[in-house]
Amino acid sequence: MLLLDYQNVLIESLLKDRFAPEATPTAIDQIVSDFDNVTFHISTPESKTRILISTSIKCYRELVQYGAEDVLQREYGPYIVAPEQGYDFSVQVDLENLPESQEEKDELVRKISLLKRNAMAAPFEQAFDEYAALHEEASKYTSESAPQGVREGGGVRAIHYRDEEAIYIKASHDRVTVIFSTVFREETDRVYGKVFLQEFVDARRRAIQNAPQVLFRHDPPLELEGQPNLKAGKGDVGYITFVLFPRHLTPARREEVISHIQTFRDYFHYHIKASKAYIHSRMRRRTADFLQVLRRARPEAEEGTKERKTASGRTFKVGG
Amino acid sequence: MANHTPAVVMDNGTGYSKLGFAGNDSPSFVFPTAIATKGPTGGAGGSGSGRPAVANKPTFLTGGAGGHLSGKRGTEDLDFFIGDEALTAASGPGYGLHYPIRHGQIENWDHMERFWSNSMFKYLRVEPEDHHFLLTEPPLNPPENRENTAEIMFESFNCAGLYIAVQAVLALAASWTSSKVQDRSLTGTVIDSGEGVTHVIPVAEGYVIGSSIKSIPIAGRDITYFVQSMLRDRGEPDSSLKTAERIKEEHCYVSPDIVKEFARFDREPADRFKAFDARQPGGRTVTVDVGYERFLAPEIFFNPEIYSSDFLTPLPNIVDTTIQTSPIDVRRGLYKNIVLSGGSTLYKDFGRRLQRDIRHLVDERIKLSEAKAGNAAKSGGLDVQVITHKRQRHGPWFGGSLLGQTPEFKSYCHTKAEYEEIGPSIVRRFALLGGPGSS
Ligand SMILES: Nc1ncnc2c1ncn2[C@@H]1O[C@H](COP(=O)(O)OP(=O)(O)OP(=O)(O)O)[C@@H](O)[C@H]1O
Ligand SMILES: [Mg+2]
Repeated sequence: MLLLDYQNVLIESLLKDRFAPEATPTAIDQIVSDFDNVTFHISTPESKTRILISTSIKCYRELVQYGAEDVLQREYGPYIVAPEQGYDFSVQVDLENLPESQEEKDELVRKISLLKRNAMAAPFEQAFDEYAALHEEASKYTSESAPQGVREGGGVRAIHYRDEEAIYIKASHDRVTVIFSTVFREETDRVYGKVFLQEFVDARRRAIQNAPQVLFRHDPPLELEGQPNLKAGKGDVGYITFVLFPRHLTPARREEVISHIQTFRDYFHYHIKASKAYIHSRMRRRTADFLQVLRRARPEAEEGTKERKTASGRTFKVGG
Repeated sequence: MANHTPAVVMDNGTGYSKLGFAGNDSPSFVFPTAIATKGPTGGAGGSGSGRPAVANKPTFLTGGAGGHLSGKRGTEDLDFFIGDEALTAASGPGYGLHYPIRHGQIENWDHMERFWSNSMFKYLRVEPEDHHFLLTEPPLNPPENRENTAEIMFESFNCAGLYIAVQAVLALAASWTSSKVQDRSLTGTVIDSGEGVTHVIPVAEGYVIGSSIKSIPIAGRDITYFVQSMLRDRGEPDSSLKTAERIKEEHCYVSPDIVKEFARFDREPADRFKAFDARQPGGRTVTVDVGYERFLAPEIFFNPEIYSSDFLTPLPNIVDTTIQTSPIDVRRGLYKNIVLSGGSTLYKDFGRRLQRDIRHLVDERIKLSEAKAGNAAKSGGLDVQVITHKRQRHGPWFGGSLLGQTPEFKSYCHTKAEYEEIGPSIVRRFALLGGPGSS
């Protein structure tokens, strides 16, 4: 199906190759893009056995504000090296010093290929923790007697991960709200996007009760009051709100939920494009059908065998 | 945004697609240009499944791949795999395998469009709106095909900018890495031999001399078939296409003289005969002997009659004729810079033999005309040089990577805004990248 991987497939396959016992170390120097203004540089600057993987992330500064360094330290601890010039964060693996077992090696490959995911996870983790604290706090009060801070929840974490689009995350004592601001420059995409989002909203109503609540609107939702640079009221701007309820926020589900919601924008755009491809294919089909009708309508006299030439000089026969 | 991101370079060939980012020295992904879709294997033509299906199914919310809904709502159009995954899927039940490109040209646009969307989102992980794209096309690609490509790139994917380059021109640029190439000119004869066809393409200052292009219906696939037939004749324990292809890639080479080569096999059998360990589907390995096919298979470029009965002209003669039918003032440059490109030019000593044979043809002709002129006028001779270089294998991709990273590349692209103003015909012309005057 059209689900997107959370990890970077190229980094994954490249490291897997290099980690194989029979692999011979070779020099690498590759720049690789990922979604949302993320760039990786995979290289072997010192020696062929030491692979340096660096990443630059547009919103890295914001992520650091929301605890990215702790998350990265937890995930990559001993592999972290000083960031390469021009990049935000670097890890290095030494092929001569890999973990022993295959499982550990696989785990290391998996971790490194999830670098983008893990960096972007920081604000979500923070918000989930904040929810847990608020939830704990709120359980001591009835809804009327709760102090202001507990009733309103925490502040909004804003991540400007693309030039014109941002993710906002807000924790409360009974939910975490994630809002994506989106911009559609294309009229057609806007229409497809609407249909798609409507399906989202309906899907929940219809069958998938466990899914998070989804809302779509053109004006900034109330939660975003006071945020700078919000665009509103125009057709090409939209806000998609996901409400994550306690059942999504359990420690067991948290990792998957964070991975999943992060890929929302890319998934959304992938689907819009795939839908357009689908419509195009139907249009081509129609055209082909019409052409066939026209061909059948041709006078019979013309139907003899004929030799024709293609552009490249091949000959082929028509009819007959 | 698209101004900071590296350009995406995609060289979709008959057999393999080479995908990656400009500036790198090798593609990030190389996998078969194949797509596996629900249903039986179909021909190349026609279009996708005609039944309407609802494309916008929110699988995202169900959180799992597929989910129980997918069966009910007709989403088979979204259920497909590309590349190596396609081969795997098609080896099981339920999926049919398709190759959307035939003889270098896109034939099934539905499949190609889906192949591209998956290439971008799943493998390269790019939002096409954020990137400029450099695509390649075979020589003599009909302008309608270019327009179809542009339509998909701009209308489905909203890509930021698009440049379509002829593979041969890119292959010339790729040869600039060779030390034998002194001037970075875009004049030369490109021999591009991949999976489906072999083209001989004269290029003068970046422009393909279309009327002189020759193509030969012998390429990688034929050589694989030839190896396979020899394995079958000998009754080897494994003569699958896959095994034949591996043997071809690992053991075949071009010999200077086949008669002498046969003798050499008899003299030094231990050295010449090889063994190949083929892994069977069950996990068992069998040993396949490798013999004369090592040099006989690539020999069909030089002596096609050993393989085919209706195509008989050797490759060196084709190259010579191609250059002889080109305008006289560029012939010298075309002989001097004969550049190899594509997987099927990788045989050891392929370039050396080609150079020798072409030189021979040229010298003969010169001698003949000198004799006619009564030996009054001695000609200075003609320099014939065949360039073998490190980037040959993915030549067109690498040339695209070189040109796609230049500062001026993005200004040579057509943008979506231009496409909307002028329409698909805008892609009939592109300014010449890497030509005279650019850095
Ligand atoms: N080392 C090698 N020696 C000989 N042949 C090889 C080698 N490596 C790859 N090939 C062959 O090269 C072919 C693929 O080449 P390439 O990727 O240039 O083709 P393509 O671009 O897919 O096809 P085309 O250019 O015809 O559209 C295959 O037939 C493959 O078996
Ligand atoms: Mg090719």
